[in-house]
Amino acid sequence: MSAAADRSAATVGAALAGLLDAVSGERMAVTVTALASEPFTGRRVGSAGGAAARAWLAQRLADLGASVTVEPFSVRFVPEVYATPDVHWHDGRGTRRLAFGRDVAVHLASADQPLIRRGDLAVAGAGDPAGRWLVVPAGMTLFDAYGHAHGAIGLLFGRGVDADGWHYTMLAGPNPGPLPILTLDTATHATLRAAAETGGGWLAGNTPIRRLDVAAANLHGDWAGAGGAHLLLTAHYDGVGDHPGLRQPAAADNGSGVAVVLEAARVLGSRLPGRARLSVAFLDAEEAGALGSAHHATQLRRAGAAPLVVNVDGAGNLHRAAAVEAGGAAHGLLAALDQAGRYTGMPLVAGPVASDNRRYAAAGLAAVGIGAGMASYHSPADTPDRVETATLDAVARLVVATCWLATADPATLQSLIGD
Amino acid sequence: MTDTQTRGGFAGDPAAALTVTGTGGCCGNPPSEAGNPPSQAGNQLSETAAAALPGAGGPCCGTSAEATAADACCGTSAKAEAVSAGAGCCG
Repeated sequence: MSAAADRSAATVGAALAGLLDAVSGERMAVTVTALASEPFTGRRVGSAGGAAARAWLAQRLADLGASVTVEPFSVRFVPEVYATPDVHWHDGRGTRRLAFGRDVAVHLASADQPLIRRGDLAVAGAGDPAGRWLVVPAGMTLFDAYGHAHGAIGLLFGRGVDADGWHYTMLAGPNPGPLPILTLDTATHATLRAAAETGGGWLAGNTPIRRLDVAAANLHGDWAGAGGAHLLLTAHYDGVGDHPGLRQPAAADNGSGVAVVLEAARVLGSRLPGRARLSVAFLDAEEAGALGSAHHATQLRRAGAAPLVVNVDGAGNLHRAAAVEAGGAAHGLLAALDQAGRYTGMPLVAGPVASDNRRYAAAGLAAVGIGAGMASYHSPADTPDRVETATLDAVARLVVATCWLATADPATLQSLIGD
Repeated sequence: MTDTQTRGGFAGDPAAALTVTGTGGCCGNPPSEAGNPPSQAGNQLSETAAAALPGAGGPCCGTSAEATAADACCGTSAKAEAVSAGAGCCG
């Protein structure tokens, strides 16, 4: 390495080190706690809580000196459980109420049935289904179950729950069908199947679920550059939303990613090498099918813009390494990410990050998705206390270094990392 | 963080991130199988999950290449299978 290169590397290294020192895990933890708080109601797309979170984030971006814009779009058929399902069953000796969220949940393909319907239990594919709740055996598909359900009250599917005993909530999935459908945790499902096989039980329950056409919006922050590189940091701010009487804070998914991007923007602002342009997009409707990023990627494509995209989905619970999935012409961005990982000590591994980054990649943009874990997911257990401050700090440092290195002089980079 | 980090960056070729073949689930990396927490499904990448990535069999959302071809978050066939199975799926 030449003396000039040594000096250049030292200058860049000092500048980058100063930026990394400014990263605050505690500040991000405060952001996660705020986003997961009750007023934001789990931030489902189209909800009042989602809009409130967006307004809160807009103010944070404005406070950082960004030019802030909101880009609305519409989303159709967003499922909403609008009342707590009332489900209980009788085994021949006594009646037991099933706890919503733990023992029972409403299947995404369920028809809306607000009234409690009671009927004997039967096994799908065995015996007369008319007027009965059908326990669907494991392995039988939804469509096969429909074939056995003529005249049935509804279907009962078994589904695994998470380590905390909660059902996962999904917003994207099959369209509603003709029957009420409940999902039961696998143990309850097995118990009801045994009761159905002996002909000794009944179930009474409802499925209050509806589909809403809603207004969604992406939130953009922009720091003007002076030409050259353009970096776009993204994270979805929506969650699956609270259920009636059941909070789902969406702290790790994706309050943590939003906190990382916000912190990276605070640290970087207009400080990228070569006065590269920095933009932030907080995306809506990821949980409804990555629709916010699809909307934004289309806008970028039409505008002929080609930013380098770094998406963060999950920065709550790093285990062995952060997963990285890339698409588009991302070799240069990956090189910067690799160097940033080495510089900050963050292990990386190629792995699926099925999130908004895929929409940008599908639009032909260089895009990487970074996922650094969640202790819980789409359930009441996704709380701020389970988001590790150390993981937030590590991912934010990785993102800051990646942005810096992606816009720095390549010759300097080589010296900085010591290749 | 639960593990001590000793070395940063990619353990192998960074370009491998361009050809991810696993199915970490649908948008937001849900569990690959019912009952498995997401911590075992790609995001946190336990040794087991990392080893299982190529061809891992979650219900959704196919490979990134399939998703790209479909201009969606999920591959078309993976989504069809997930819907058929009554599982959640995006895009």
